[in-house]
Amino acid sequence: MSDRSEVYVLGGYQTDFARNWTKENKHFSALMRESVRGALERCEIAPEEVQSAHVGNFAAELYCMQGHLGAFFTEVDPAFSGLPTSRHEAACASGSIALLAASAEIEAGRYDLQAVVGIEQMKTVSPAEGGAFLGTAAWYDEEARDIEFPFPKLFGRLGDEYDARYGLNDEHLAEISKVNYANAKLNPNAQTRTWYMNKEHALCRTDDNPAVGGRIRIADCSQVTDGAVCVFLASRDYAERYARGTGRKLEEIPRIKGWGHNTARLRFADKVAESADDRFVLPHVRSTITRAMERAGIPDVSGIDGIETHDCFTTSEYMAIDHFGITEPGESWKAVEEGWLEIDGKHPINPSGGLIGAGHPVGATGVRQLLDATLQVSGQAGDFQVEGARNFQTLNIGGSGTTSVSFIVGR
Amino acid sequence: MTPRSDSLHFSEARRLLAERSLEHVVVLGANGTMGYGSAALFTQVVPHVTFLARSREKAEEGLAAAIAQVRSPTVASRASVGDYGDLERAVAEADLVFEALTEDAEIKREMFDRVEAARSEDSIVASVTSGLSIAGLAEGRSESFRQHFLGLHFFNPPNVIVGTELIAGPDTLPEVADFVEAFGRIRLGREMVRTADTPAFAGNRVGFKVLNEAAQLAETLGPVLVDRLVGPYTGRALTPLATVDLVGWDIHRAIVDNVYANTDDEAHATNELPGYMAKLIEGGVLGDKSGGGFFKRDGKTRLALDPASGDYRPTSEIEVPDLGYIDEVAFFHAQARYAEGMAVFLKAEGDEAALARKVIGGYVSYAFHRAGEVTAEIGGIDRIMAMGFNWAPPSVLVDAMTPAGAVEMIDGAGLSVPEALEKAARTGEPSRFFLHPHINAGRFFVAN
Repeated sequence: MSDRSEVYVLGGYQTDFARNWTKENKHFSALMRESVRGALERCEIAPEEVQSAHVGNFAAELYCMQGHLGAFFTEVDPAFSGLPTSRHEAACASGSIALLAASAEIEAGRYDLQAVVGIEQMKTVSPAEGGAFLGTAAWYDEEARDIEFPFPKLFGRLGDEYDARYGLNDEHLAEISKVNYANAKLNPNAQTRTWYMNKEHALCRTDDNPAVGGRIRIADCSQVTDGAVCVFLASRDYAERYARGTGRKLEEIPRIKGWGHNTARLRFADKVAESADDRFVLPHVRSTITRAMERAGIPDVSGIDGIETHDCFTTSEYMAIDHFGITEPGESWKAVEEGWLEIDGKHPINPSGGLIGAGHPVGATGVRQLLDATLQVSGQAGDFQVEGARNFQTLNIGGSGTTSVSFIVGR
Repeated sequence: MTPRSDSLHFSEARRLLAERSLEHVVVLGANGTMGYGSAALFTQVVPHVTFLARSREKAEEGLAAAIAQVRSPTVASRASVGDYGDLERAVAEADLVFEALTEDAEIKREMFDRVEAARSEDSIVASVTSGLSIAGLAEGRSESFRQHFLGLHFFNPPNVIVGTELIAGPDTLPEVADFVEAFGRIRLGREMVRTADTPAFAGNRVGFKVLNEAAQLAETLGPVLVDRLVGPYTGRALTPLATVDLVGWDIHRAIVDNVYANTDDEAHATNELPGYMAKLIEGGVLGDKSGGGFFKRDGKTRLALDPASGDYRPTSEIEVPDLGYIDEVAFFHAQARYAEGMAVFLKAEGDEAALARKVIGGYVSYAFHRAGEVTAEIGGIDRIMAMGFNWAPPSVLVDAMTPAGAVEMIDGAGLSVPEALEKAARTGEPSRFFLHPHINAGRFFVAN
């Protein structure tokens, strides 16, 4: 591969995921504007430099009665009028799909500097209505129609599948929740920074922690929210100039070293039927992770200093632990018991708080993960910094393990 | 002595937390709002929290309120309750004694006599006082007590508002203050701000000046107009007089009386409690907790106070002058075009807009004049106004208005222009005042 395969991440900006933009009386365009302007300022990039933009979003048509989101990018600054923009959708992996499209265009040599925005405004509707909208990320007619909160139930079944194949103790799920909430306290942009949580609370089986889908209780869930994240991806040429202009060396600018991307069949039942004889419950998720490692030239998870994974529910993080190869399949509980997932553990997972702690504005999540990985390998993650991190990997999942995207960011 | 401005590096904070454990907190005055609220917060990460109050029954009430506040069974399982007869035994085993008694120096001193006699040499003693001098409370105590004593000022309710002031006394050991900062920040997710031991510290000094000025203006303009003028579009979710009602008029009086009596700054007159409030407080008007203050509800009807008579009228019957400029500002805020919104505010015509600029200009001017006095730099005041009051920090307003715009607003209101702003307007340096890497500047501007 030539130099063209190199895609650099210059940095970006995240809106505070605790914010409710409806309460602030703000339009969807404000969310877009704050994230993009924040990124321009933070990265010290003039608007005129941006050559193209990709927007990742799941369902603004449902939540905000608004489509054509790529075009909203042009509203942010007069210099953006006329830019090529587009919008990408793959349920909760929408943000990562936008990143993939942008990086492919850089690799193709079409553009040198791209803005990627992940964005979702979800507090516009009631939880029940929003839960139904989220159901469209599954095969709606078969898995979600007339079901209250379909996704907790689907990911409850993921836990049940683990239980059937290997055994699963809910205490390990509670510990995963606890670690994510504790990490979120270190992240000033985390949705749950002020929420009360500890392992005892996560384990409690009273109305303080109601069940929402089989073994899934509120403490096991990430929560929807409003949020937007903008990052800038650049070619090697641009990154070299950018590094010089900001008094740095090219090696100091984080780079996307590898990526993986797979799509499994939509229905959860079909996925587990396919994997009945596989060591991994979701083999396509596994191959997304390992393809990213192969492309980065990293043999296994021992070369990864930290992970930002898609813990839409504690069961999805439990699945990620063995799918990353931290433990043998079915033995994720060992990593939980050993404390490996904690910020100063052997394999830190979600130092940001992840989706459970930091919040899950659906279309923004993949971009948020990439930004947090970038902050980590730049030593700029503040109180949630993994000390000395050089390589960070993300895993972003749409549907019930349907679309998977993984990036490795490093220096 | 102005406090340190830089915050601890994360690795230093983690080291401090690894070296000292905090397993048992004793809360004194655990039946009061700040007492049970803080105790509830502690139970999240501390294995044992003792609720102490005048009677065991009162302590039980505090525990019940703590459970209701955070809705977790963890609170009960980690708590024990007792009356002050249990103080010596509990304090002897405590790593942290958290004092949340009534704001009366004599009552606190009497309790500190007993704490001093019972505490272990290494335990930390913190007061949640929002106004009394930390040095004064420690005065005359043993060296060990003075070295381990500090102010830890949570805002109400502590489980929701993360802004927290940390006030070291003259003899507080730096490692003790650093540990408490690390614990607050890393374990409890607090935004920790070091402040000087000055009256009302930083947040309340700056915040209640604005609230009190709004209350003064309400005497002639009425609360409806004042809350509209200094409303969400100026950078706050909750309007000022609704805030005073929520805080309680008695608390408001205690804070501004303390500041008025013990400071003499360029805005002294704005810290004087309006006479009508003093009179109404005597008659039992304490804000929301007494059933009403500037505002109250009668069924579905919202009523507003007439400060002259003490009577209430439906807000729908109160005529407010045309304030079309506010809608124009909100139009821009709704699209996150905050600088354009603030430009409309700065240029808005009419006496009412000028009054609003006087209050906001007064806020910015007062805050910048206090930098170096109540916190080391304006950044500390910015952080506590952002995370303690949920107001647009002074620096965010200056950045949105440009320094020249802020200077014009302050000067135009006949107020004293802080040197840093005058210099920035003249030289263009610094180009930005609000440099916090994480706090979203836009979150404070509400579009209505």
